Amino acid sequence: MFENPQLSNFFWLSMSIAYAFCFSSLYTYLTIPEYTFELNNNAQINITMKLATVRLVIVAVALLVYPMILFRFFKYAKYFTVALTAWAVAIYIDDIFVLTEVIKYPESGLITSIQSLRPILIVSLLLMSIELVFRPLTAD
Amino acid sequence: MKNKNTNNLVFSTILGNGSDKNSNGKDYNVQSSTFRLIFSFINLYALILILLFFIVKGNLVEGIDNNFLDTGFSSVLNARAMLLFLLLTSLNITAYFNYGFKYVCLIMLVYMLNSAIDNAVLFSGFMHITDRPYFSAFNVTRPLFIIALFWVFIIHKDKDKSD
Repeated sequence: MFENPQLSNFFWLSMSIAYAFCFSSLYTYLTIPEYTFELNNNAQINITMKLATVRLVIVAVALLVYPMILFRFFKYAKYFTVALTAWAVAIYIDDIFVLTEVIKYPESGLITSIQSLRPILIVSLLLMSIELVFRPLTAD
Repeated sequence: MKNKNTNNLVFSTILGNGSDKNSNGKDYNVQSSTFRLIFSFINLYALILILLFFIVKGNLVEGIDNNFLDTGFSSVLNARAMLLFLLLTSLNITAYFNYGFKYVCLIMLVYMLNSAIDNAVLFSGFMHITDRPYFSAFNVTRPLFIIALFWVFIIHKDKDKSD
């Protein structure tokens, strides 16, 4: 029923880092104190939190679905990983270069640290994608 | 003698792989007419979308109020148009060389889905169908573009089995 993907330890390490980052993000955004919004109650922060909620729902779904695809439908794992990597890069570029004038994250230490650690997630996902795309064909 | 055989084997392997991956030999795949039709639609749609942006930016279209552009949507459109153009160029290059097309198509698909979600969440309050019919036409037909990208991703025939 379940396949053994036979991937390197490097892949599992990258996947662990990516999972740890995603769970930290979920925890951070779900436990933001309410007074943060009361202090900074402006439209930009509200709209940003709305966007963050939509993104976190997608992250939660991806966290649940990914192990299933990796162990059950390994053939499609590389496409799914590339899609997730592309999405992570797209939202990073969006936040840094495209939506700078539109969105504003609440001033909180945890959120700031999560935002600054986003390149680590991108690097982990990139390493996972590279391993899945360029791995030897015989293991398929 | 043994070394000579080994060398010949190495050279033939290298040349064999080289000709498989990079040459325009006889082993290329001819894409179906459906693929070519949908691919043309994708190019046309994206080019019209980019052109429309430049027309709006140059104040050549009536009906776009300044408040709408002052909300930050102008800078967002500017960056999106540039990124879309880069992705479209990459898609055409990979389609021409028939190498890595599926990955670029997937990246473009994810990018378009992400921008559609962003627009829906951030700018839904500013978008009214009757106010800006040109933009509305493209926002309404965007799912068609996403479906076309997904379709092309599925029906594309790879030269390399590993791709």
